[in-house]
Amino acid sequence: MDALDVVSRKVFVANELGLHARPAARLAREAQKYSARITLLSQEQEVDAKSILDLLTLALGPGCAVELKAQGQDAQLALERLEQLFLNRFEEER
Amino acid sequence: MDRHVLQGIPVSTGVALGRAYFLNRGRGRNIPRQNIPDNDVQSELVRVEQAFSQALAELETIQSRVPAELLEHARIIESHIMMLQDPKLLESAKAYIRDMQLNAEWALEKAVADIEAVFRSIEDVYIRERIQDVRLVAGRVQQYLLGESGNSLRSINTRIILLAHDLSPADTIELEVGKIMAFATVTGGKTSHTGILARAMQIPAIVGVADLEETIQDGQLIIIDGLQGRIIIEPDEDELASFTDLKYQFEEYQAGIIRSSHLPAETIDGYRVKVFANIELLEEVSSVLGNGGEGVGLYRTEYSYLNRVKLPEEEQLLEEYQDLASIMYPSKVVLRTLDVGSDKFMNHFGGLDEANPALGMRAVRFCLHHLDLFRIQLRAILRASVHENISLMFPMVSGLGELRQVKSVLHSVQMELKQQGLPYNPEMPVGIMIELPSAMITADILATEVDFFSIGTNDLIQYSLGIDRTNSFVSYLYQPLHPALVRMIKYVVDAGHRAGIEVSICGEMAADPYCIPVLMGMHVDCLSMNPQAVPVIKHIIRQATMEECKSLLRDVLASKTVGRNNKLVKDSIFRRHPKELMFYSSMLDEGY
Repeated sequence: MDALDVVSRKVFVANELGLHARPAARLAREAQKYSARITLLSQEQEVDAKSILDLLTLALGPGCAVELKAQGQDAQLALERLEQLFLNRFEEER
Repeated sequence: MDRHVLQGIPVSTGVALGRAYFLNRGRGRNIPRQNIPDNDVQSELVRVEQAFSQALAELETIQSRVPAELLEHARIIESHIMMLQDPKLLESAKAYIRDMQLNAEWALEKAVADIEAVFRSIEDVYIRERIQDVRLVAGRVQQYLLGESGNSLRSINTRIILLAHDLSPADTIELEVGKIMAFATVTGGKTSHTGILARAMQIPAIVGVADLEETIQDGQLIIIDGLQGRIIIEPDEDELASFTDLKYQFEEYQAGIIRSSHLPAETIDGYRVKVFANIELLEEVSSVLGNGGEGVGLYRTEYSYLNRVKLPEEEQLLEEYQDLASIMYPSKVVLRTLDVGSDKFMNHFGGLDEANPALGMRAVRFCLHHLDLFRIQLRAILRASVHENISLMFPMVSGLGELRQVKSVLHSVQMELKQQGLPYNPEMPVGIMIELPSAMITADILATEVDFFSIGTNDLIQYSLGIDRTNSFVSYLYQPLHPALVRMIKYVVDAGHRAGIEVSICGEMAADPYCIPVLMGMHVDCLSMNPQAVPVIKHIIRQATMEECKSLLRDVLASKTVGRNNKLVKDSIFRRHPKELMFYSSMLDEGY
């Protein structure tokens, strides 16, 4: 795959309190492990997935749909890992 | 009241003497705002970067020292660290220094204000409130910029008494646990987070102190009397002497009860009662044994089900139960089957729209509704029962019909295991929790078909008196010694004994020193409580005589009001256990 291709995937926020501080921290921390440019797109707002402040300002409430986008060498892998985090509620209880 | 004494609600016992330190007071104090000349830009940039890395290093240190019992909250720190590392905050502050020639403090303030502006427009209240975390993090950097690290908790050499309007889990994470001798807060009630934290740290705490912030200055010498819920400000010599004495006595007392906690709980006149512990994690076993617990009277099995993407598999549960049984062997372990409501399993079974979950699909009702889930747990418990110290207990059984239903499921699981050639203990004792008034009244019927009763007083009190104890409007009605409850508990104990089965109490009542003599008077066989309460309860029992407990019970049964019962109990504690009266508060408030 060409490193310039943008890969994307739709995910949902399953946490009861939305993407609050702890899940956002988990997401940003995980995103920082990849060299790919990773963004989250929701309601025409696109933010840097590696910035916890950006993630919080996106204000993803419970049940929100969001598009994960990644571009770069490890984009595909990054996308899979991050999707997994959404699926398991960022290892939060609720 | 005396100007230099403040009254609050004691939530953790003990006495501490020390300097007052307000958390968060002074955050947002005056920040110097100046434009800087061109040739200072570089040094301001360096200064702000340094402050960020100092704050980061500090947070990382705190993170590495968070005690095990606070690990769950410690994850808040992780988000704070991420915020400090987030280029958005630092870069924006640096841009203000570079482009507008603001000094570092002002630049940081502006950077935070920008973020705040974005947060303000967020509709989701919970996420909007995260701006508090951003402020907290920025405040930490600001302290380094202002050279005020001398004022932060970290650099205090002596231990302090921490005062705050309220302590949120986020606040408590920042605390350096070893430096805090006591807590006091303006808000909070008996069940607040501060109390839980303080009891885990074993330091005194008082909540609900109305004039705390107005009356006490940073650095003032204060006494926290966690026994009576008092704060003494700038005590005089006499007060100092008497409280130092009290503190010494309490510490001696505490050391004494812990030393003797391995001794059996036997009254002076030779009546023996078992003292067990309630736990929900395997790791807590060390605390049970360390505090002199003689068994696990209630193992809450919910933990493996919550906090999971997938429901636990049989083998995983089996391993957990076997580990518990073998560590505790030969002491007894009572496994309670799943006691949760459907609300906890929304993602597995779809949500139920229940108007009143406390009276809804929970505990055995939930299990009977989700038989696959129930059978997997029963299989794991039965297979673990080859360790012969395991007993099984069903929660929230409402009557004989329901009991027979759950027992028939148990029987069919046993048959299934037999067919598969998997071993289990056919003699495993099977008991029920008595926590619904319907089960209480029919205890004589239920007793003929189970091996033991365990009275869950927390739910029983709420269901019997019709109150939610967390509802502050009616929590005053939460009265364990209401005549109705005393009669019901006595009735269950007697019904159990007539049928020749053991009756234990596993609720907070069993951990309340004041309630013990009454329960003893009923001849309960076992008391099960949080592990930390074991030493004091054993001590109480060892100081008591059965004769006095029985005579107290007779008086209590003859009385007509809660108020009278509470007084009778306090009088008896005063006569027999004066130290406990001094050192422990009780759930027993003045009732009607």
